[in-house]
Amino acid sequence: MTPPRFRAAALGAAIRIAECEAKGTHAFVEWSEEALVEQADALTEEAADGPLAGEVVAVKDVIADRFFHTTCGSRILHGWRSAFEATAVRRLREAGAIIAGKTNCDEFAMGSSTEHSAYGPSRNPVDPTRVPGGSSGGSAAAVASGAVRLALGTETGGSVRQPAAFCGVVGIKPTYGRVSRYGLVAFGSSLDQIGTFGKDVAGAARLLAAISGRDDRDATTLDRVPLGGPGPAPKSLKGTVIGVPREYFPEGLHAGVRAGCDRALAALKALGAEVREVSLPHTKYAVPTYYIVAPAEASSNLARYDGVRFGPREDGGLRDVRALYRATRGHGFGAEVRRRILLGTYVLSAGYYDAYYRTAQRVRERIRADFAAVFGSGVHALFTPTTPTPAFQFGDNLADPIAMYLSDIFVCTANLAWVPALSLPIGRDEGLPLGGQLIGAMEAESTIIRIAQALEAAIDGTAEVR
Amino acid sequence: MSVTRDDIRKIAALAELAVDEAAAEELERQLSRILDYVAQLAEVPPDAEPVEDGRVLRLRHDDIAPDPLLSEPKDFAPAFKQGLFLVPRLGELDRGEDAP
Repeated sequence: MTPPRFRAAALGAAIRIAECEAKGTHAFVEWSEEALVEQADALTEEAADGPLAGEVVAVKDVIADRFFHTTCGSRILHGWRSAFEATAVRRLREAGAIIAGKTNCDEFAMGSSTEHSAYGPSRNPVDPTRVPGGSSGGSAAAVASGAVRLALGTETGGSVRQPAAFCGVVGIKPTYGRVSRYGLVAFGSSLDQIGTFGKDVAGAARLLAAISGRDDRDATTLDRVPLGGPGPAPKSLKGTVIGVPREYFPEGLHAGVRAGCDRALAALKALGAEVREVSLPHTKYAVPTYYIVAPAEASSNLARYDGVRFGPREDGGLRDVRALYRATRGHGFGAEVRRRILLGTYVLSAGYYDAYYRTAQRVRERIRADFAAVFGSGVHALFTPTTPTPAFQFGDNLADPIAMYLSDIFVCTANLAWVPALSLPIGRDEGLPLGGQLIGAMEAESTIIRIAQALEAAIDGTAEVR
Repeated sequence: MSVTRDDIRKIAALAELAVDEAAAEELERQLSRILDYVAQLAEVPPDAEPVEDGRVLRLRHDDIAPDPLLSEPKDFAPAFKQGLFLVPRLGELDRGEDAP
């Protein structure tokens, strides 16, 4: 017998999602009350006793699920239903979760605002004139609006933490290899990780624990047992050393962002943590490195969308198979995806490979070495702003790709270095949420989660900071 | 580093992507700007050693088993017949790119 409380959870979620979408948030590209109820009623007895029993979780539309389409925010996958179910989604269901639906995102997760979704942008629930961030902006907006308490997002260069900061929720990007990517549509394979959103740190950590662990279907997963769930928030951080990298606090940093960070650092000190200035000298090279490595890998990963085996096809006048490829890809991909495919093709092409791709790989090793040196010197976690500014307005960065790319300047380093990082709300400036970032050493998710829980309990994350 | 219209045509062909003239003009400008921006990486001295972290990729057993697909290729392929994905004739590929 299905316990009735799960059907009630499903129906309650349907009402909240409908309210969120009626306000024009457009957090979801697909959801339905029927699918919610069907899943709730189908929960097995084992799942009904699971750690996420009856919890409704929204899933970014680059992660494959059998109940819903998987479009990746792209016309090239319009109407496509995956023949796979992602391991992360399967684990959620085994833990008792009900999948709410698929959330909007920048096309193939390439963007920082959801303005590059073929299905229209999502709006920031805190201020609908502003972007929710991206690329997992729909997931962040779904949690911030109260439609769901938990959501999955993905990161290649900050796509969970940046929208979490813009929307005033918590976002965790685990260590590379912590979560299986089986069933995640590939973008930059040396960078991609599934991450989690929650209203609070414990929620996002609980969701991460449920999806973590080795998977034989993804050879890059770490050979580790799944993470444990979060404990209670520590009352003291005595003995904890927090590094503050000076490169993340440039002169001219947005005054509200700086005030929020100052307040959070004062709270960490009051909790007994030792706060120490440190240096990650190659930080300024992270965005240029990222914008060689990620497009190069994307140009290779996105070669599979050719209109031959799946997805919509443009026949190119049926002249020949290359006309079919070019027409399908030329019509199916949006401007940002085309730009990155061409950039990636360029930096990998004969004559340019050494100057760009090999150079970027070398600089990436320097960035990883910076983190290894700081964490080897007794620092337990780094504290930084998540973003250089609060959420920007629609259209602000659309004309200039580099301006858009620079909104990820503080977050893309952790992806390049494979280390875990999270963003939590540290206050508001003129009503707009501010995010504080904690970065940990390889596999040290539990350390940054514990520190974040203590900080979250010590400050009012919705209070004005100046 | 400035990208020319010929570069755009060449990489669009390599990437099998139709790019019209208006888009090519914008891409020429944007890719040039992005490549100028990433050129700063040349400042970094070329002596970085890989960070040793003991990670290795595991290979799984090569077990022969059916694909774990939730649906059949015939259900998701744009054109599928007798177990084959259908495409137009190979055209240029038949002759090879460099054929006269």
